Amino acid sequence: MEIEKSVYNPDLCIIEENKMNRAIKNIKSWWLSLFSVWRREFYIVTHDGGVMLFFLFLPLLYPILYTLIYNKELVEEVPFVVVDDSYTPKSRELVRMADATPEMQLVGYASDMAEARRWLNEKACYGIMYIPSDYSRKLANKEQAVVPFYYDMSLLMRYRSFMEALTNIQIAIGDSERQSLLNEVGELSSGLNVTAINSQAFILGDLTQGFASFVIPGVLILIIQQSMILGIVMLCGTSRDRRRRNSVIEPLAIEAPAMAAVLGKSLCYVMIYIPLSLYMLHFVPLMFGLPHVGSMVEIILFILPFLFASAFLGLVLQAFVSERETSFLVIVFTSLIFLFLSGLTWPRYAMDFPWRQLSDIIPATWGVEGFVNINSNGATLSHVSTPYTILWCLTGIYFIIASLLWKYTKNEQ
Amino acid sequence: MGFRAIFIRELRRLACRPIYLFTMIIVPIGCAIFFVSLLDEGLPTKVPTAVVDHDNSLLSRQIIRDLGASELINIDSHLDSYHEALESVRSGKVFGFFIIPDDFEKDAVAGRSPSISYYCNMAYFIPGTLTFKGFKTIAVSTTGSLARVQLVSAGMNDNATGALIQPLAVQDHPIGNPWSNYPIYLCNSFAAGVLALMILLVTAFSICEEIKRATSIEWLATARGSMIVALLGKMLPHTVIFSAVGIFMQSLFYGYNHYPLNGSEWVMALAMVMFVVACQAFALFVCCLLPNLRLALSVVSLLGVLSFSITGFSFPLENMYGAVAIFSYIIPVRYYFLIYIDQALNGIALYYSRYYFVALAIFPLVASTMLWRLKKACITPIYVS
Repeated sequence: MEIEKSVYNPDLCIIEENKMNRAIKNIKSWWLSLFSVWRREFYIVTHDGGVMLFFLFLPLLYPILYTLIYNKELVEEVPFVVVDDSYTPKSRELVRMADATPEMQLVGYASDMAEARRWLNEKACYGIMYIPSDYSRKLANKEQAVVPFYYDMSLLMRYRSFMEALTNIQIAIGDSERQSLLNEVGELSSGLNVTAINSQAFILGDLTQGFASFVIPGVLILIIQQSMILGIVMLCGTSRDRRRRNSVIEPLAIEAPAMAAVLGKSLCYVMIYIPLSLYMLHFVPLMFGLPHVGSMVEIILFILPFLFASAFLGLVLQAFVSERETSFLVIVFTSLIFLFLSGLTWPRYAMDFPWRQLSDIIPATWGVEGFVNINSNGATLSHVSTPYTILWCLTGIYFIIASLLWKYTKNEQ
Repeated sequence: MGFRAIFIRELRRLACRPIYLFTMIIVPIGCAIFFVSLLDEGLPTKVPTAVVDHDNSLLSRQIIRDLGASELINIDSHLDSYHEALESVRSGKVFGFFIIPDDFEKDAVAGRSPSISYYCNMAYFIPGTLTFKGFKTIAVSTTGSLARVQLVSAGMNDNATGALIQPLAVQDHPIGNPWSNYPIYLCNSFAAGVLALMILLVTAFSICEEIKRATSIEWLATARGSMIVALLGKMLPHTVIFSAVGIFMQSLFYGYNHYPLNGSEWVMALAMVMFVVACQAFALFVCCLLPNLRLALSVVSLLGVLSFSITGFSFPLENMYGAVAIFSYIIPVRYYFLIYIDQALNGIALYYSRYYFVALAIFPLVASTMLWRLKKACITPIYVS
């Protein structure tokens, strides 16, 4: 009975209704303010040439520029000289074989090591092959012939090309010498199969072992994050400039709760970046024939939390920039740091304590890991569940920090 | 009045804004320390890899033990199938795997040529390459040692079998960096690149800010209307600070970390000072062409970031498209990098690096031809916001 009474108490009903109405009104106004923040941000972005440069020009053009730089992929025809003290058919055969590899190119014979060294110093070549006088004799005597090779170590890519070619030559000459030896041994060899085991190498991910195919997928992710952060920080710096000029009132600001403001702004940025991501992560690999075996849907699904996390990270970093121009000074160099922390060039397993933890909280680290695995190795979303989950966690964490910072800096003013 | 007044004026400006302390000292030195300590292992060895052993024989276990003993790779997991191993690569747990087929030992002994195979994920270049090298070494030496055992047991002379396994051995002599140590190469190029980037930004910022805040009139008046005096007085404090930071970086690399310095440290210090001036001149040139704070900063940041790739630190210039590679010659850090290779890494005569020093000296000359534009902008500062 008592319950019924309370239910039918008209006063209570009105209070309840008012509460409800207020709550609905609050929710409604929250969403409305979010919407107007989003709309205003769109207006500001599209009317700011500098920001458009970083939001549109940079994501559209940088991938093409970067790929053009590395598009030849392989380091081929690296020049080398020969110092041939053996001067026999065998030694000439060795030189011919080296010259015939795609990686190496003979530029000439030097009379002695001093001359060869001079060629190296003048950068006429990047490697010296020294064939000792006993080369042929040792091969004929069934001893091991040793051929020293001197590498210029200025670039590791050249060293790698030389190494690859020389290893193959070593194996090829080894096979033919072994065969001739076995032929001489004669009967003994008939019962033996010396090359009893075959081994086969398979390359995954970057099938051609090209440089662009390796570096560009990761760089694309970094371009997305860095251009977005730079643009966001510039926008916020400009807004502070306006506020200063207008005696503490920012004419373009919209009155909104912190969370609605942060969410509204980031929605604007993410919406701009979704088509750009589609272009960068799908069409750029297609255009340049880079590895691209993953599904486009998975890539877009994966990239969504990455975009949000980057946007919120940008809204966190904006707190450290007081004017538009200083954003360049504070943000640009971080691209290098983030590139090395991402684990693309220097793998994460080899990082030590503070750096690994720092790399953990950067969206690009997980963006690179997930995207490279999807794009180059054909992983699905379930394979990259770790980076995917962490990206959503970072999204949440940066959203909260950005909202708190927004609230705090607002009260300060 | 004159040069001294501007010099003191600039010192005061530098001291007043913490952003200068951050960008001129903390960032370059912080980045140098970052590179040194991040890469202090030299090579990221012990790459996580997996093995799939279908055979489970004495021989296959021996191969796995050999793999485990390799310094390049680390066997993280023993998996049951190719499929499982591939999944492991896809989820990024391992960078490669090694497969020993069914009846491997039996076939090997019977001479039926069984095949071992290994897979390396080259989507991550360095770990992929190290995995490949580690696997290949074991695969080749397994083949060789098995053959040797067979031959010796068939009554062949031990010396002859040695040559049989590897009749030709190429002896590696990496000049200057015998450990093929990655940070030696990287710190010298990328830390200098970061320094260059910061010099470009700070120079463009401090020159164009005068125009933005319309202090350029007073600046020029203090120099009695001489743009050259105004710039010399303004830039000299920067040159001193950046050179000191750069030489500190060199001492960190060559002194504290013992990276190869086969030439003279004075030559490297000179190269550093000239490199700092060349970078300042480069930024000055951009400011002369675009005397607007925002535009100048945008251009130097875009170029500065791109210069890390286009100067051929990692990918050789002669393997790029000619039309792209040509732009590397307008970037000062390219010449510093070449001087470092000659003078520090290889320690060859100064004669071979002469053109690089000349090139660094040309940058200020080129910038000085455009000063009239900057002067015009300084006299009539218009800042478009």
